[in-house]
Amino acid sequence: MIKNYFKIAWRNIMRHKAYSGINIFGLALGIAACLLILQYVSFELSYENFQANKDRIYRIQQDRYDNGKLSTQWAAGAFAVGNSFKDAIPEIEDYVKLVQNRGVITEVQDHPLKIDKVFFASASFFKIFTYPLLSGDKNTALKEPFTAALSETTARKIFGSTNVVGKRLELNRNSNYTITAVYKDAPVNTQIKPDILLSYATFIKMRGPDNNPETAWEWDGCLTYVLLHKDAAPATVEKKFPPIVEKFVGDDMKKFNSAVTYHLQPLKDIHLYSHYMLEPGPNGDGKTVYLLLGIAFFIVIIAWVNYINLATARAITRAREVGVRKAIGSQRKQLIFQFLSESALLNGIALLLSLVIVIAVIPGFNALSGQQISLSLFTQNQFWFSLGALFIAGVFLSGLYPAFVLSGFKPIDVLKGNMGSTKQSSLLRKSLVVFQFAASLFLLIGTVTVYRQIQYMRQQSLGINIDQTLVVSAPVVGIDSTYLPKMTAFKEELGQNTSIKNITISTSIPGEAVAWNAGGIKLVGSDESTQKQYRVIGVDYDYLRTYGLKLIAGRAFSKDFGTDDSSVIFNRKAIEQLGFNQPNEALNKRIDFWGRQYTIVGVTENFHQQSLHEAFEPLILRLIPDVKGYLSVKTNAAQANKTISLVKAEWNKFFPGNTFEYFFLDDHFNDQYKADQRFGQVFGLFTALAILVACMGLFGLASFTTLQRTKEIGIRKVLGASITSILKLLYREFAFLLLIAFVIATPLAWLSTSKWLESYAFRINLHWIYFVLPFFFMAFIALITVSFQSIKAAIANPVKSLRTE
Amino acid sequence: MLQLKNIYKWFNTGSNRTFILKDINLDIKQGEFVSIMGPSGSGKSTLLNVMGMLDEPNEGKYIFLDQDVLHMKEKQRSEIYKSHIGFVFQAYHLIDELTVYENIETPLIYQNIKSGERKGMVADMLDRFQIVGKKDLFPNQLSGGQQQLVGIARALIVKPKLILADEPTGNLNSKQGEEIMNIFKELNGEGVTIIQVTHSEKNAEYGSRIIHLLDGRIEKES
Repeated sequence: MIKNYFKIAWRNIMRHKAYSGINIFGLALGIAACLLILQYVSFELSYENFQANKDRIYRIQQDRYDNGKLSTQWAAGAFAVGNSFKDAIPEIEDYVKLVQNRGVITEVQDHPLKIDKVFFASASFFKIFTYPLLSGDKNTALKEPFTAALSETTARKIFGSTNVVGKRLELNRNSNYTITAVYKDAPVNTQIKPDILLSYATFIKMRGPDNNPETAWEWDGCLTYVLLHKDAAPATVEKKFPPIVEKFVGDDMKKFNSAVTYHLQPLKDIHLYSHYMLEPGPNGDGKTVYLLLGIAFFIVIIAWVNYINLATARAITRAREVGVRKAIGSQRKQLIFQFLSESALLNGIALLLSLVIVIAVIPGFNALSGQQISLSLFTQNQFWFSLGALFIAGVFLSGLYPAFVLSGFKPIDVLKGNMGSTKQSSLLRKSLVVFQFAASLFLLIGTVTVYRQIQYMRQQSLGINIDQTLVVSAPVVGIDSTYLPKMTAFKEELGQNTSIKNITISTSIPGEAVAWNAGGIKLVGSDESTQKQYRVIGVDYDYLRTYGLKLIAGRAFSKDFGTDDSSVIFNRKAIEQLGFNQPNEALNKRIDFWGRQYTIVGVTENFHQQSLHEAFEPLILRLIPDVKGYLSVKTNAAQANKTISLVKAEWNKFFPGNTFEYFFLDDHFNDQYKADQRFGQVFGLFTALAILVACMGLFGLASFTTLQRTKEIGIRKVLGASITSILKLLYREFAFLLLIAFVIATPLAWLSTSKWLESYAFRINLHWIYFVLPFFFMAFIALITVSFQSIKAAIANPVKSLRTE
Repeated sequence: MLQLKNIYKWFNTGSNRTFILKDINLDIKQGEFVSIMGPSGSGKSTLLNVMGMLDEPNEGKYIFLDQDVLHMKEKQRSEIYKSHIGFVFQAYHLIDELTVYENIETPLIYQNIKSGERKGMVADMLDRFQIVGKKDLFPNQLSGGQQQLVGIARALIVKPKLILADEPTGNLNSKQGEEIMNIFKELNGEGVTIIQVTHSEKNAEYGSRIIHLLDGRIEKES
């Protein structure tokens, strides 16, 4: 019986090639898109999955409040949190502290080697996290001061072998560590990918007895992860934080009118939902992931809808078969089964085709989305599971309704020939077309908005000049009392060159978050409760000039004023936070900053330190004549290569033992938009796919309805109707459906695009044109699609169409 | 074989009731060859469909092989006609996507007969109507007469006690028509009850009994 069904199904598919082609190709495109996106989504969701304790590990996230207002949110909070919480809360089985260090330099055969991902980690690191040790003991590895653990790759880079436990490792020519362990490299899908772990005991020792981090509650920058007991409820644990905080810093907080709260972030949620200060690595965006997932399902659903629409539209041609089968003894359920097997066969073929498509487009998709999907995809159970799920869902969701409609025909009606298209199914068909139109419009409006926003962000003036700026990473070796004279000489040497306009050193450069956050800043003499938090960039004399910052009051730092090392320049936002409305009012005011007093000598206009995702922050530029940090070289002409080699030569002369790492600042800045651009491209691509699939369905449907009206058109023409009036008749129906779709899609799109734009501090205003343009575009596409058949029908000789009866 | 008692069928147009069948009483014995005649719209086909259980009367009683079919559930009823009644249609109503062989085989599939057994039965049928050579052709590759042969073969494959034929020769030329009628005659000789609707006096003559319908009533019997 089943064989028989499939045989008939196969012949039906072959007989109606255009119809089957539309269905199969549409489904295949939909399934392929869905599979690729599912792959991307499952990768994003797989972060930290390799951690054996993933369900019990939480990061302690810190929120600081000033005057009752949330001021900063931290991934890495106060140093004392881990040990204090562990001591007081029995549900916490263990904790680990991680402190990000700058990149370090070691020497391999007399050549400097820079290693970027360096952390101080407390002794429980290997007990809490799953980094299998190739050698060493996980219980003692990071216990002692000046011990270090290396990743497999790092060990090979430095020593050419992983058998290095007990060896000595010199860093930055100033400290020595004993290697106690080598661990397997972290997988790609994790946030922390340490190259070197130094023992946290080292960090304590370096700080000295007067600066013990274990009791520091106001000093931020320590990532704290806790491992909860198996049956501990995180909400209960969280409730135990406030009394502990109160005990240690309650009085201080009251005095400064500030507050601090702590929250448990499940390790698994960090990748997609965490975006706080001092994250130890880049994170993804949960919203994007689910948006793409939504689009993928949109496309498959549109393809399923095609099947439903075309199958029910074609019902009349299948009706006779149903009637005959019933007359010769078929039961309804047998017919349902038959039509379902037809849907199964069609979906099956589409599935095979989708695999071919997936294989063909993997490289393109990777390039577009920045993913690394490979053919090993086909060895994953998850992939086949999604494939199976899509198949079954497709067969039933798209096959069931047509099967019920078709099998419901009464043989008597069919055989007598009085078979009109039922009102009910034509209404459903229209609703489904409206759905397809609305979905397409929705995606189009989304695409337009995303593109406009990206364009806007890139065209906006930053308020800071990042063009033709070569940036060199800070030297780490040889930082001692000779640093300032060396750097001064280096700058002077370079400055003599005509291709170099300006050189400046600063602790931060545009295009990244300012890492230095300072709390406790207030006007001299004002109450302690007015203390607030500010971002600080330490700069030399040339910073403002090099970056072309606009002063709106006061002056720039200058060597002409001998006291400038106790001067600061605020941005507009910062003086507003300090309580001034007019820039001039803030001039010459003195502030308390970590036990010293500084004078405000100038105020700059706000500028975009980061992408337009981020709002302006209260920022202090503090003059530090011997500041260590990035070297920004403003070049004159387009002689980039020459300038690079010039700077490099001088660099090697003045800072031997350091690696020369450079990049151009505009590239660095625009990297911030990479994710947005990728999202825009992927969004645009899948929107185009969705529209293509919807149009294929529309084409099929228009063909059938036109075919059904052949006789009507013939009669109208005999009665004197013109071709244009016939075309109007045929277009009117679809135009009406498109209008309804527009009415449905517009508010939904308006809501979602506004919601999407909310995550940008600087964003476009939604304009009516973003909605009307997609509508006309869609109308145009629909017109073309419908026209293929309509024009043919309208210009056909009526004698012909009437004769067919 | 079957009895119809006070069968009425009507439809309402506004407040008017139009009768298609009006008080039909009919008793047909096993082995009869009955022809139903009458002008267009007299209710012939409806009557045939009622007897074939494809249509239901609004009122009346229908006994088929001593069972009151109008009070049965859909499933039981379809069980009965599936195994006892074969239909032959004016427009043949073969399934276009199936070959001659498969068309004839289909009713057997619906009766859950095993594949091996089906093969034998279909082969016999093909033999009997001498269409073995055409078994792999599709309906649109056959002439009208040949298609109707296949239609009859399909009706006969389940060994029905009753064949209902709605103008079986309506779309055929006279020579083909004659052939078909001879087959019916032959079948009747083998004991199959046949009820046909026809316009043609000549074809009606093949039967043993002619029922004339007019405006939904039995006008006369001969």
